Amino acid sequence: MSRGPHRRASSGRRQSTWSLRFARNVLLWLLPVVLIWLLITPFYNRFLTRSTENLVRLVESPAVTRLLVHDRHHFLITRTDVPASRGSLGSVNVSNTHFPLIMLGAFFLAVPGAGWRSRLGRLGWALLIAVFFHIISLCFWVQFIYATQLGSWSVEHYPTWQQNFWGLGKHLLDLPLKFALPVGLWAAFYLRHLMAQPASASPHLAVRKK
Amino acid sequence: MRSPRPKSSPSGATRSEPPRNDAALWRAYRQEIRFLTLFVLILGGGFAFLSLNPVNDGVVEPFTAGVARLSGVALDLIGQEVEMQGTVIESDRFAVNIRNGCNGVETMIIFLAAVLAFPSTWKSRLAGLVLGILAIQIVNLVRVVALFLTGVYFPEYFASSHTVIWQTLVILFGVLLWIFWANRFAAPAPAAAESE
Repeated sequence: MSRGPHRRASSGRRQSTWSLRFARNVLLWLLPVVLIWLLITPFYNRFLTRSTENLVRLVESPAVTRLLVHDRHHFLITRTDVPASRGSLGSVNVSNTHFPLIMLGAFFLAVPGAGWRSRLGRLGWALLIAVFFHIISLCFWVQFIYATQLGSWSVEHYPTWQQNFWGLGKHLLDLPLKFALPVGLWAAFYLRHLMAQPASASPHLAVRKK
Repeated sequence: MRSPRPKSSPSGATRSEPPRNDAALWRAYRQEIRFLTLFVLILGGGFAFLSLNPVNDGVVEPFTAGVARLSGVALDLIGQEVEMQGTVIESDRFAVNIRNGCNGVETMIIFLAAVLAFPSTWKSRLAGLVLGILAIQIVNLVRVVALFLTGVYFPEYFASSHTVIWQTLVILFGVLLWIFWANRFAAPAPAAAESE
């Protein structure tokens, strides 16, 4: 009787064990990551509000945009060239932009077989990239409101192609890319780890191949 | 003079020397670059395609209406007396409108992009896509039903449940499904296998 199929079955069991261990770890990490996210959200929202305001003001002349923290989750958009009596021009839910950090944290901390130092190192890089993504995404939100939500003022100041640019950009950043970011970052840092699992799952096969 | 230390790649493979130039960098991270490029292209192309008005009106809207009808049937089966009006499911106590973003299409496109970008045979990809998309839609159905019940019995939790909890769970499910497929069922493509 050939031993090949038996080995393959054994390898298959090990492979499924890795992905199931990963899934179990993700579920176990979800709660602690959610708690951390809830704790840092008010501070992170303030940081994102200030950073977005700085970036928007950097590219506008004169620099008139003021973003005001409204409550735990939102900022209000105001401009110094618009009478204060008009109130805010719109509000943006900042927490809604960065809650996929929960997925990101759980994915990066859950990888079986990766050392703690490398896991945390990669998570650090991924978080840094995510922060830049959030700031860019919020800038698109502000510009989207300027370009499309202010009626005649928008039409007067933003030509059609700019309205389409900010609208499409905001749509792509706010929905698909926001959710795809944790997946893309995880793949960038762990794709080889994932692809190595079938090969390393059966040490007997690896030895025989040599 | 200090001897160069072995350096780890982003994916953890230890190398004796870091890549010295663009060609070496490309060779060292070819798999990651190839996957990410394909992933982003398919993702961007997929969403741009779905954003076109004829596609949205002719495909996405009817699909969303189908999801709403199926959710209405499921809610009827568990004793909720609901009525359907297009993509709106309503009862005496609560009503919900199934719109783009609630139909599982985002998760399907992310799953599709990840499966197509991962090196594998077309047979494995096709099987993964058919079964994966079916599974994602089943989970999305559970999500719509659960959200409706949340709206009926715990309306104060509906907003956070809708925006954060269920969106995270459905995307999470799609990603775990991809990792399970890639790890368990994705047979290596001949070209990828040869280059290893």
